Amino acid sequence: MVGASHNEEFIQEFLVESAENLDQLDRDLIALEQAPADEERLASIFRTVHTIKGNSGFFGFSKLGALTHSGEHLLGRLRDGTLVLDDRVTGSLYSMIDAVREILRTIQATGAEGDHDFRELAHRLTAVAAGDPATASPAVPAENPVPATRAAEAAAAAPSASPASPGADRPAAAERGAGESSIRVDVGLVGSILDLVGELVLARNELRSVSADDPAMVAAVHRINAVTNALQETAVKTRLQPIDHVFNKFPRTVRDLAVACGREVQLTIDGGDTELDRTLIESIRDPLTHLVRNAIDHGIEPPDVRVARGKPRAGTLALRAFNESGQVTIQVEDDGGGILVEAVRDKAIARGLVSAEAAAALPDERILQFIFEPGFSTAAAVTSVSGRGVGMDVVKTNIEAIGGTVDVHSRPGCGTTVRVRVPLTLAIMPALIVRSGSQRLAIPQAAVRELVPLRPDSDRHGDRGGLRIEGLEGGPVIRLRGRLLPVVFLDEFLALRERTACRDRGTVVIVRVDDHEFGIVIDGVRHDRPAEAGEQGSAIHTHAGDALPAAAATRGVAGIGEAASLSTVVVKPIGGLLAQIGLYAGATVLGDGGVVLILDLRGMLRAAELPPARDADPEATADAMAAGERYLVCRTGRGRRIALPLERVIHLENVPVADLQPLGDRHVLRRGPAFTPVVDADRLLGESSASAEDRISVVVCGGPDGPVGIAVRQILDVVASETPLQPALATSGVCGALALGGVATEVLDLARGLPC
Amino acid sequence: MLNTSEVVEVCAFRVGEHCFAIASAGVAEVLSSAAIAPVPLAPPAIVGLLHLRGRIVPVIDMRQSLGLPDRPPAAASTHLVIRLADDWYSLLVDEVLDVQTVGADRIEHPGKPVGGPAADAVTGVYADAHRLVHLVDPERVVQALHRQRTVPFVRHGDPHGG
Repeated sequence: MVGASHNEEFIQEFLVESAENLDQLDRDLIALEQAPADEERLASIFRTVHTIKGNSGFFGFSKLGALTHSGEHLLGRLRDGTLVLDDRVTGSLYSMIDAVREILRTIQATGAEGDHDFRELAHRLTAVAAGDPATASPAVPAENPVPATRAAEAAAAAPSASPASPGADRPAAAERGAGESSIRVDVGLVGSILDLVGELVLARNELRSVSADDPAMVAAVHRINAVTNALQETAVKTRLQPIDHVFNKFPRTVRDLAVACGREVQLTIDGGDTELDRTLIESIRDPLTHLVRNAIDHGIEPPDVRVARGKPRAGTLALRAFNESGQVTIQVEDDGGGILVEAVRDKAIARGLVSAEAAAALPDERILQFIFEPGFSTAAAVTSVSGRGVGMDVVKTNIEAIGGTVDVHSRPGCGTTVRVRVPLTLAIMPALIVRSGSQRLAIPQAAVRELVPLRPDSDRHGDRGGLRIEGLEGGPVIRLRGRLLPVVFLDEFLALRERTACRDRGTVVIVRVDDHEFGIVIDGVRHDRPAEAGEQGSAIHTHAGDALPAAAATRGVAGIGEAASLSTVVVKPIGGLLAQIGLYAGATVLGDGGVVLILDLRGMLRAAELPPARDADPEATADAMAAGERYLVCRTGRGRRIALPLERVIHLENVPVADLQPLGDRHVLRRGPAFTPVVDADRLLGESSASAEDRISVVVCGGPDGPVGIAVRQILDVVASETPLQPALATSGVCGALALGGVATEVLDLARGLPC
Repeated sequence: MLNTSEVVEVCAFRVGEHCFAIASAGVAEVLSSAAIAPVPLAPPAIVGLLHLRGRIVPVIDMRQSLGLPDRPPAAASTHLVIRLADDWYSLLVDEVLDVQTVGADRIEHPGKPVGGPAADAVTGVYADAHRLVHLVDPERVVQALHRQRTVPFVRHGDPHGG
């Protein structure tokens, strides 16, 4: 009994290891095709096949043994130099890899090798090894030798072309070495470690709230605090995997697709070591494969067309992954024909998605987004005119399901870039803890654009700023920067209580989901215990629901901080019973042990049937812009007085300078899994940075690509403007000046994009 | 389903005036009290969530589920935490009684002792020394809640009344 289950365990290990080895084989073989003289790579291929052969003998898988034996024999001839690598050889080796995969799959499913007969293939391998030209007539597309040769020729002819796969410039032996320093751990075990760490965090929080005045005790609690944070971060990291796990499949996929479509494609892969939660890695596999397929099928032109257009015969497909604003960006870029915007525009009009007038006014970038409409791109008309292929809506749906976004850029004739952004992990995320009535709820911070206090009706033209709810007879809206956004009263929506008679108190959380922007009216805040001294700014870093002292800092100056308590929360599943309500994405446990539901904003948007945001009448907009806008006034490291529009400010932090980690030529602030780029205000103003003090203040503002921090020496005040902004006073990094608190103050130019 | 020679071990509990039991194999633990976080717009029988060692567990009020009168505010209640496959649930009952062994041949087809959404979760009945005990299939209790409608949402009006 024991022996049998042990054996099963070994077989399982063999299957997993072999699957990885086969992926490596694919990559090695592609690299070998490009550089047939690479003896080291040939040796690596030989070793891999030999290992599979040895193991199959050990477990008594005779078919597998026979097949890999023939393959090994063929490779042996290559290694001896008695046989030259040509298309017949590579073709039959690819067939062998596929056959081995099939056998392994059968073993995985049934425990046995199955009935499929691979003797013919084994014969073919032997015949090829013997150099018999009569055999090996190409049967499957993967073996069609012609385009593959051209690809190899093209690569040989243009050695300066970008490197092929990562495998091409990294010795395979080194990759193996890395494997030996890791162990396989059951995913469930990692999950329970994370759960236990979550428990530890709660216990730590309890300890902190009861710890006495004894300085030794305080010191010990501080240490436990630090260790717990580090432990949680490390535990989360155990779930991360390099994105190579997905990328690794692509050299082979691209090769096969290129052959099947009659294209020549150079694949470059970059940033395969970028890490992502393993569950997300699984979720992006299919969408990415789809994008790659589209790029080859519909993007990159056939070689003769490319030559006629003055492009290199072989198209380039670039896969890139990198970290950006706490998210992972994956880019699929081709240098093909691009998408014909006009064809998309016509199709969108024909399908009634947009009126002809509106379509004419829309910029090309917006028009391109129509390809994500359900069923849109299945239209043959678009495909045949070099558009994108089928199912971009499915790609978008799948990516959005994991909290990601997709966008597409295309230049006709030059190529298309599809950019997929996904969160690093779904296990932990920053969230805004809000209060409505007696209920606390969490809003995923990724969706939060800004927080705006409501302005009492009585204070119509007061200088306290804030917004009023309008359109009471229809659906309530708020007016924000010339746009009318629909709002939802959270208490009413969740049936927590009757809609409060007094609708001019509270705070509006402006969120953006997909392309919809709307406001959620909350009461405000969790009133937590006051932040402990010495913890200013660092508490955002603590997990599972600690109050954010930065919010407390905001409270002092801006008054909106009362509504916001930012936490890094551990997301827990709530099970099907509650998921069916369609309003909650999960739950989390806060530092005080309380369970808080995480709002599913997409579900909320659906359930509330909100109308889209629309532009307000321009007159009112101009009025709003004239004066009365509120600004955060700060002093930079060099002592310059500057202002930032408060609308753009997400939150404030006061951090030790040491917390800013250098990243290339800039700095980032690390908060759990998220990195916020931070730029010195003085640098924005075109000056050098002043010598730093121990702690600095960071104003985190919403940027087009996520939050950006601006480092200043001191936050002075929040003031309503007394005069309109005077653009004539603009200088480097400054978009104008205005009077704030009786003093002329320069306004930092956030609109032009921040250089970080 | 049950062979006549089989015995089943059950955990008996009281809800209102009635006595019920579930197979003890599925019982994870019994909690005398726990903080419950309410879930807005959940089916009425789901009274909230509790936090159990890193796990978020929905709490199902058995009085609601079985169509029994609401528990008086001051009355004691107990969480009978059960595990169904990978999901955990807490059944909120009035009192957990004891663990009993029942011969399968003593179990008879139930009448219609209770109503409520989970009425058909009662799969059998037997008599112990003091009273009738109704066997409950927890899976069916949960299933019944899946079918139950939640409170309809408040519709958001059109901003222009059109």
